[in-house]
Amino acid sequence: MIFTRRVLGKVGLALLGASFLAPVAAIAQDKPAPFDNPGEVDIALVRYLSTGDFFQAYLSGVEAQAKALGVNLRVFDSRQDAALQADMVDQAIALGVDGIIIQHGLTESMKEAAQRAVDAGIKVVAFDVNVENEAIPQIEQSDRDLARLALEQAIKDNGESWKAAYVYVAGIAPLDRRDETWREFKEKYPGIEEVAQFGTLDNPIANSVANQARSVLTANPDVQVVFAPYDEFAKGVKIAVDEAGMSGNIKIYSADISTADISAMREPGSAWAATAATNPAVVGEVSVRALAMLLAGEDPGQSVIVPPTLITQAQLNEQDIKNMEELSQKLPQFAHADVAVPAWMPLPPRD
Amino acid sequence: MSSDLVGKPVTEAQPSGGARLSLRELAIRYGFLLLLAGLIVFFSLATRGFASPQAAVFILQSVSITGILALGVTATMVVGGFDLSIGSIATSAMMAAAYVMVVMEQNALVAVLVCLAIGALVGLINGLIICYMRVPDLLATLGMMFLLIGLQRIPTEGRSIAAGMTMPDGSTAAGTFSANFLALGRHRFDFFIPDLVPASVVVLIVLAVLIWFFLEYTRFGRMMYAVGSNARAAEFAGAPVKAYKIWAYVISGIFSSIGGILLAARLGRGDIASGNNLLLDAVAAALIGFAVLGAAKPNAFGTAIGALFVGVLLQGLTMMNVPYYTQDFVKGAVLVIALVFTFSLLGRNAR
Amino acid sequence: MAEGAIFRIAGLGKSFGPNDVLRGVAMELRAGEVTVLMGANGAGKSTLVKIMSGIHQADRGVMMLADAPFLPATPAEAMRAGVVTVHQNINDGVVGALDVATNLVLDRLNDTGRGIFFNPRRVRREAADVAARMGLRLDLSADVTELPLADRQMVAIARAMAHEPKVMILDEPTSSLSANEAARLFDLIDRLRARGVAILYISHRMSDIRRLADRIFSLRDGQIVGRFEEKPLDYEGAVNAMLGRNLGRSGIASRAASRPIFSAEGLLISPAGRPFSLTLGAGEVVAVTGLVGVGKTRLAETLYGIHAPLGGTMQLDGSVYRPKAPAEAIARGVFLVAKDRAQTGIVPDFNIYENMSLPFLPRFSHFGVARRRAERAKAREQIKDLKIVCRSERDDLATLSGGNQQKVTVARWLSQPSRLLILDEPFQGVDIAARHDIAAKLRESAADRATLLFLTELDEALETADRILVMSEHTIVGEHRSAEVDMERLLADVAGRGIGDAA
Repeated sequence: MIFTRRVLGKVGLALLGASFLAPVAAIAQDKPAPFDNPGEVDIALVRYLSTGDFFQAYLSGVEAQAKALGVNLRVFDSRQDAALQADMVDQAIALGVDGIIIQHGLTESMKEAAQRAVDAGIKVVAFDVNVENEAIPQIEQSDRDLARLALEQAIKDNGESWKAAYVYVAGIAPLDRRDETWREFKEKYPGIEEVAQFGTLDNPIANSVANQARSVLTANPDVQVVFAPYDEFAKGVKIAVDEAGMSGNIKIYSADISTADISAMREPGSAWAATAATNPAVVGEVSVRALAMLLAGEDPGQSVIVPPTLITQAQLNEQDIKNMEELSQKLPQFAHADVAVPAWMPLPPRD
Repeated sequence: MSSDLVGKPVTEAQPSGGARLSLRELAIRYGFLLLLAGLIVFFSLATRGFASPQAAVFILQSVSITGILALGVTATMVVGGFDLSIGSIATSAMMAAAYVMVVMEQNALVAVLVCLAIGALVGLINGLIICYMRVPDLLATLGMMFLLIGLQRIPTEGRSIAAGMTMPDGSTAAGTFSANFLALGRHRFDFFIPDLVPASVVVLIVLAVLIWFFLEYTRFGRMMYAVGSNARAAEFAGAPVKAYKIWAYVISGIFSSIGGILLAARLGRGDIASGNNLLLDAVAAALIGFAVLGAAKPNAFGTAIGALFVGVLLQGLTMMNVPYYTQDFVKGAVLVIALVFTFSLLGRNAR
Repeated sequence: MAEGAIFRIAGLGKSFGPNDVLRGVAMELRAGEVTVLMGANGAGKSTLVKIMSGIHQADRGVMMLADAPFLPATPAEAMRAGVVTVHQNINDGVVGALDVATNLVLDRLNDTGRGIFFNPRRVRREAADVAARMGLRLDLSADVTELPLADRQMVAIARAMAHEPKVMILDEPTSSLSANEAARLFDLIDRLRARGVAILYISHRMSDIRRLADRIFSLRDGQIVGRFEEKPLDYEGAVNAMLGRNLGRSGIASRAASRPIFSAEGLLISPAGRPFSLTLGAGEVVAVTGLVGVGKTRLAETLYGIHAPLGGTMQLDGSVYRPKAPAEAIARGVFLVAKDRAQTGIVPDFNIYENMSLPFLPRFSHFGVARRRAERAKAREQIKDLKIVCRSERDDLATLSGGNQQKVTVARWLSQPSRLLILDEPFQGVDIAARHDIAAKLRESAADRATLLFLTELDEALETADRILVMSEHTIVGEHRSAEVDMERLLADVAGRGIGDAA
């Protein structure tokens, strides 16, 4: 047997590892397959929506958790093209990835593509899109809870009887779920009168919504509360309220949060009273963790729910929170979610 | 038939304004303006708050950005070209303004100058590609559109830009939107009523008057029309055809970047956006403009009226609580009617 | 007189609104004869053709084909009855995407009972038959778009012949052909004549008419005003009848140049040519003639700064003249009325005064702002001077007849004083009356400038110029004074080396 330098080196390293780094090696070996050798694991993120801070933060969470696990991440961005998104799943299958995260999309276009991935032996999780597949866990940011938290705050601030304008675009799954909660609230509190409903996804969304909101506020100057359960909507409404000089009379309740949202909420006299949000970065992390559990042969559950947090203008002002980092630091319930965390799971560094 | 006029008595040239118009000619010339007036009367009666100075100003504000873009694309249509990149020039300028102020911590003037320079440069490149590389206008500007949509994401690695944002390297951006810059989107001038007219409306009106005067009353504008109608004849009449074409794209680029500046000032941040809705709305306004006053050709007055027409319709419909998804339908219907009007009733083949 | 006629028209009338375009036309066509129909623009020729070919229906009168009433409701019906028309626009007669063979038998492919499948060999065989019968020597597999205009024209005619027509109408078939190409077309028409087809031939070109006509009808104001059936035909009489006035050549009093304005030494305009010299004097009208493709347009455009000369020097008013762009030429007072006004002259979206002022906008502007009042005043002057038929100077160009459009393009360049005025085929597609108006105006205003005309038609050159230069192979090869022109020497110059069929 000829000992080459490489073999010698390997043997040497193994000896070193065995003698000095025994505890570390032991932890590494504790990870279930395939994460004992994470460099060989490829996962793909197939996105439908990517424009906006929320999706950017989501991506950063996915990247952070993938890095913590040491797996390779590929990102496919279909930019709101449903057919392309389905093709991208097939592309990922062809590339031989081990796991796929489907981020948003349409049930109709993704259902079959997701099934093809499952048939190819690939583990799949879906975030915010129902692909109607038993084998695919749903990651959800509990839109019902989001809407509930924001609306409860609205009741708390304004009583049980007010005139509302509502921003809604049908056919987008998270908005549809938030809409269900809104309808339940209207039934529960008959004093809430919805005088106008509007909404658009024309991009830039905030600009288009601002134009609509201006018209609505002109036609209905007695509106007290605007429920805008998506932060791009809320931004647009706030622009319109400011332009109409009505920020003293109107309160905006929304869902989701970003650095820009924080500064908008904290402007002096801002009409934006509260928002309920799940940290999109945390949702990203949870998505990867759920996928990792599947790959390791564990079951994250059919539905993985990331709980939301209520963030009010008062909280932001009291604690002088200026951006998402400070929000995470000062509201720990926002920074982390102990969801899908088996003992072996490495977590991204927390500050 | 070569000459129906031979054989008719040769009349002396009639004094200006002496020509009597038939009913059909009257309808062709003033039909669209009449329709606009009718719409305004209808909405004033049907909704409360429509007929107020604030609402009137708001309609102008809601169309100011697309209107400015439409005026720019009108310039390229006049020389027989087309500019598909206007929407993405606007959003690129918006991102640039945000980047200059938030990341590079510069003041409003620098931001505005950088945006204008970007617009002029992109227009110049469009013009050079079209005139000297002989790439057809639609294809060249389509390529530029894609290029810009991608380019605006590169400096921030796909993040939207807001004060206090986290940079790709983990640091936090220290700059903010300067108050002077935001005033471009938010300041209101007194006009009989205090705080009535937003700066963006003033910019729209000034640019509309400028480009209208330029196209209709200066020899440069006249030559641009000649280039668009018959480039060879213009060349044989001594016009530097390529220079006029390139100038048209530079005008379009600068106007688009002004639209982007106003967009950034209104939103107070730099949103990743393709600007395709801006493009489509602007092109629709310019095409509707063909039908105004029976011009059957691109013209600045018509473009302004076209933008106003769409603004009035959308404002009125939104105030009447008509759902958002009918808006594109209404826009499309107006456009189709205007085009049918232009091409069949006027019996001309304008491009 | 009407005996033996295969096609007869009597009392034919047609009105468009208040305009009586045809007012009782009577005409006969005989088998195996070429009947030429002459008429100024607007005389009603096009309407007559459209009625005969089934595009329009007559309001009054009768048409008889071989003693049976002929009332086609559609072009297809006319064609089935045996009256086929080859329209002025050649590309209407051929299908560009298909090869010659398929074009030749295209109409048969539409016959019912033909079967579904396309049999290329059968098509090729039938096409070869058609080509042989018509004496066409063409590559049957060539794409029609690759053929020169004349060949496309012949394919269109041969294709029309596939119907075995009794009557064939040719509407200005030579308007875009060179003399050489036209000669081949005439051979084809001779064949048709020999086969007993009655041909109605519509043309402005006297050379065509001299070559082909068996009889001539002159149409004016919707009526036949002259019938010329006895040989030798009275061509002058036919022209006079059609115009209703005497034109002739009498107006020309040949002038001699007083002092030179423009001169060129050793000018070389094309690698295919040889250097030549050229001097043009104040007050003279000089025509450059020659066959199509000998470089006339190239010379015109070189003088105007569109092409740079390959060699030699030019002088204008005693100083060096070397324009790099039309703008420079215009600034020096060198104007060009370019060939083919639709392509290079008129701006269709502009009205009359805007078209006229186009090159001179800087002169009509204060700080870049156009002074419309001055533009319009100038345009009204020109409309009057050139007898342009229009309602006002604000009429769109599209509403004017071809002759009047041409007058506008000429008026544009006459509206400002020039040193050298160049006109490239200014009489193309213009009726004789308009041509006379333009020529008269040119001569009348020629005093202070040099005027250079490029004309393929010798008649036109003889009628308008003091001096005639002949071009051949991108070079000026001969010079003649109109007053003492030796036709034989002139024709020999035009024909160049061994090209024998200059018309």
